[in-house]
Amino acid sequence: MDQFLSAVFAGTSRGAIYALVALGLVLVWRGAGVINFAQMGQAMFSTYVASSMIMNGYSYWVAFFVALVVGTILGAVVDLLVMRPLSGKRSSAMLASPAMRGTIPVIASLGIVGILQAAAGMIWAAEERGFPTPVNSLGLTIGGNVMPFTAFDLFVIGIVMVVLIITTIFFQKTGMGLAMRASALNPEVARLSGIRTSSVRTLSWAISGAASSLAGLLVTPSANLSPNTLDLILIIGFTATVIGGLDSLPGGVIGGFILGLVISFVNVYRSPSDIFLAILVLLLIVLLVRPQGLLGSKEVRRV
Amino acid sequence: MLKIENLVTDYGAVRALDGISFTAAEGKITTVIGANGAGKSTLLRTISGLERAKSGQITWADKSLIGKAPESIVRSGIAHVPEGHAVISQLTVAENIEMGALFRRRQNRSDVKLAIEEVYELFPRLAERSKQLAGTLSGGERQMLAISRALVSRPKLLLLDEPSLGLAPLVVEQIIQTVNDLCRKNGLTVLLVEQNANTALAVADYGVLLALGKVVANLPAAELKADASLRAAYLGY
Repeated sequence: MDQFLSAVFAGTSRGAIYALVALGLVLVWRGAGVINFAQMGQAMFSTYVASSMIMNGYSYWVAFFVALVVGTILGAVVDLLVMRPLSGKRSSAMLASPAMRGTIPVIASLGIVGILQAAAGMIWAAEERGFPTPVNSLGLTIGGNVMPFTAFDLFVIGIVMVVLIITTIFFQKTGMGLAMRASALNPEVARLSGIRTSSVRTLSWAISGAASSLAGLLVTPSANLSPNTLDLILIIGFTATVIGGLDSLPGGVIGGFILGLVISFVNVYRSPSDIFLAILVLLLIVLLVRPQGLLGSKEVRRV
Repeated sequence: MLKIENLVTDYGAVRALDGISFTAAEGKITTVIGANGAGKSTLLRTISGLERAKSGQITWADKSLIGKAPESIVRSGIAHVPEGHAVISQLTVAENIEMGALFRRRQNRSDVKLAIEEVYELFPRLAERSKQLAGTLSGGERQMLAISRALVSRPKLLLLDEPSLGLAPLVVEQIIQTVNDLCRKNGLTVLLVEQNANTALAVADYGVLLALGKVVANLPAAELKADASLRAAYLGY
């Protein structure tokens, strides 16, 4: 029973992080039509900023918020400096073909990962370093009993829940959220309604950057920090969006939690070496039975 | 007044508008009629900024619209209802309407509220269905919704692209009459594109007949309606 509960808690806390990664990916996919492979590269960079601040004596919380701000700005900068100029260039015949217009931003995002990883290696040296947690990450003890979860698990689950609630309220209840949904669903009607779709797109990149930098801060304590530690998290987050439905925010979030639980149960009841087999099987089943993902709509573009 | 001079627009490799000139008088309904492919939709899309003009001039309230983006053109009081009942089907009716006024919600909150109440009065069926997704509406209701979305921006000029497309005659009649009322009572200037010439000419003040991207006739609607030879040559009846 204890084993089961600890698998549930570890899985939920892991799943919460994957849900954040998936949220970031879906936001940019819906808002800009790009799979942003640079997302966790951006998160790695902002986590390094936090790590350096902590090493220089700043408190965890100051570093935490600075990293979120850096992640948000980095997201907006990627759009403003790279993606927007690429989408505007119709003069070149190669860029004008629809297939290339879909591919070029993805290639560019891979280039950004390369730049960020090289830059991080140059600035902070490439050796791994640890990253602290704000609360204890050993089994929590309440009334003499060791609980099947850690204080850090609760912290992760709590903070992600707050983020998800704020995101939902933002999208469902605010004018800016409506503008973002309208721009993603039908840019032409949105523009005719007076919505500045290019600013909305930059905002999607910025919010995605914030979500992924948070994911970076939450996942790094268990993975150590190096320029490419977060690559794996990106792959799992991307799998979560495919399982949940690439164009659905709740889908991506649910996909993240499902993957977190599957990984945790395989880890506890089978062996860590079976984790990737399990993910692959799950992905194959979803793609065969429901190719658009659990909550995705049917007309998703083939990538 | 909307003034169009020597407007040329290419649609891909095709010259869709080939030197068009006419004016739409303030507070009147001007209808643009013509066969399929005459350039009617491209004309509206160029005015609202969705298509880029190759040359020529579009002037609205003494200011040029050339080179402006759709989101700034709507701020100058021009609302475009594109072809095909353009609503966002995954959003609710209320959200579709609210969307049309998002850009001015901070400056004038009370007027936005009033404008939304007004369109619900104009189309009570939308009020009944305000919580439903727009995708669940009938064709006629969608067209009403698309017009409502445009009206809450408080336009001075309404660009309407084929509101009759795919709708039952009775519904077409209701929508055209509503547009007519808006023009006569509220002084809205309307540029109405229609393939259904009879319906459009019945309410319009002026008619512009387009063929292959050129203006072939620009007359008071009654005269255009009476001209059997023009009708036979360009509209095929």
